[in-house]
Amino acid sequence: MTDPLQTDADGQALVAPPGDDPPGDLTCYAFAQSKNREPARLAARSALSTMPDVLAGRYCIERLLGAGGMGAVYRARDLLAEQYGDPDPYVALKVLNQDFAESPDASAVLYSEFCLTRYLRHDNVLRVHGFHVDTACARAFITMELMRGLTLDKLLCERPLGLPWKELRHIVLPLLDALAYAHACGVVHGDMKPSNVMLSEKGVRLFDFGLGRAEEGVLPGLPHLSRERFNAWTPGYAAPELLEHHSLSARTDIYAVACVIYELASGKHPFRHLPSIQARDEHLDVGLQAPARLPKRCWPALRTALAFDASARAITAGQVRDAFTLPSSWPWGRRNRPSW
Amino acid sequence: MPLAGHWRSAARTHAGKVRERNEDAYLECPEQGLWVVADGMGGHQGGDIASQMIVASLAELPVQEHFDDRLIGIRQCLHWLNRRLGQELTVNAGRQDNIIGSTVVALLVEEDRAACVWAGDSRCYLWRGQRLYQLSRDHSLQQQMIDERQMNARQARAHPGGHALTRAVGAAEQLTLEVLEFEVFPGDALLLCSDGLYQGLSSDALSRALSLGLPAMALKRLFDDALRGPARDNLTAVVIRR
Repeated sequence: MTDPLQTDADGQALVAPPGDDPPGDLTCYAFAQSKNREPARLAARSALSTMPDVLAGRYCIERLLGAGGMGAVYRARDLLAEQYGDPDPYVALKVLNQDFAESPDASAVLYSEFCLTRYLRHDNVLRVHGFHVDTACARAFITMELMRGLTLDKLLCERPLGLPWKELRHIVLPLLDALAYAHACGVVHGDMKPSNVMLSEKGVRLFDFGLGRAEEGVLPGLPHLSRERFNAWTPGYAAPELLEHHSLSARTDIYAVACVIYELASGKHPFRHLPSIQARDEHLDVGLQAPARLPKRCWPALRTALAFDASARAITAGQVRDAFTLPSSWPWGRRNRPSW
Repeated sequence: MPLAGHWRSAARTHAGKVRERNEDAYLECPEQGLWVVADGMGGHQGGDIASQMIVASLAELPVQEHFDDRLIGIRQCLHWLNRRLGQELTVNAGRQDNIIGSTVVALLVEEDRAACVWAGDSRCYLWRGQRLYQLSRDHSLQQQMIDERQMNARQARAHPGGHALTRAVGAAEQLTLEVLEFEVFPGDALLLCSDGLYQGLSSDALSRALSLGLPAMALKRLFDDALRGPARDNLTAVVIRR
């Protein structure tokens, strides 16, 4: 217990009167490399009105749940559902960030996310409800099931030493299952990372296909997010080919999910959260150790999935899952494995 | 005015006279003994999102029985937000301003115990016995120059870029929070505020406002005074009185 009157008895706690010099009117960081220090002016240019309290006359915005490169997700109350006595009228609602929403094809991009997610029907992929437009504020938005639980980034903060195998496999297996399913459907997630995986009372859910892509021939006619024009990633989880050549494939997801699994198992990101090209140039893969609590049989698959070179990362989500599922010395073979 | 137990508080935020957007946010929960001010920064990506995330997440913390556990909860939550706004942020290749973050100053009280947790240059002041004390020390280049180069406050303020922050939630891989625990006395008044508010006011002006009995009156005086000036930044204040 510290009494400020005691600790600061020398008078240093007393306030120095502000001088006459004009205050800097912008908060910025001493270590930010930004060349653009005038966000206020950019915001002032925006033609869009700010977020209303109720969208499309139906969804009452309650609180911010999360924010990403393109959009923000809110918890909202569906007033219509509530009127009909729905015991759980809450939804998660994603809108595009104000600046991104101004680009002409923004709502098409959001529709594409809605469509990709709806296309995936899997217990471990978050369910989307609908795509809507609030005409008054000129904003498109998606409504989704509201998950109550813990995202993996929060879990990692609470468990800085990582998870024991018993807990780990209950997260990793459904996550790999969801990813293997998406890939089998021809859909790449594009931004796999801990904050895009939720551990809820109803199980594991993979979400945010906002940077996702369907391969040629899947969902024909659906507008694709052009990586030429909008290129985004999360530095600690983006594979080298995505950073260098803007090339997105199932193997990009494999690198990212392998980073997530490694981190869940050990509490530490395999390459200190560095961008993969930097980690590659510093040869950080050379001394990479298997997480101590990970069964030995899982390591070769995880190690392959962490390869910087996409051609060496020759493993599918299903194969990684199998490595995590099957003890290699299981005496009765694969077909009779227990169903856990 | 919310009233719970013997704590009264009043809070307000204002975009100021120049800025289009208000990137400040506050939390006022006298019934839980928790108040917060956050001043966001984020260029294109929205500093308002960063400060709102802080306020919304702290508001949802479970109320635990013990003060120490609640304090741990606040700190853990801020460390998680640091990761969420930093390592977990999707960045856009075409943009230079991929940092999104926020200052935070939070005050937790329970009976006679209080703790102030902060990162950045949003401040906590204490008005006690007709004197004003600044409980938080800014994490800014200005303060660093005063501490490390023995500059006086006037020299440090004259330094270009001195108002830049040295700590903030979301700005670096590791967040170091500062915590000050203290005892509250009857008659104490506390003020949490963003730099937009205190930059425009002298310590005398802060003292005059906090000497007023009711938090709502103190708050009105603070904003009346600050809005008579240029008010180029967003302004936020929470006044708490026992």
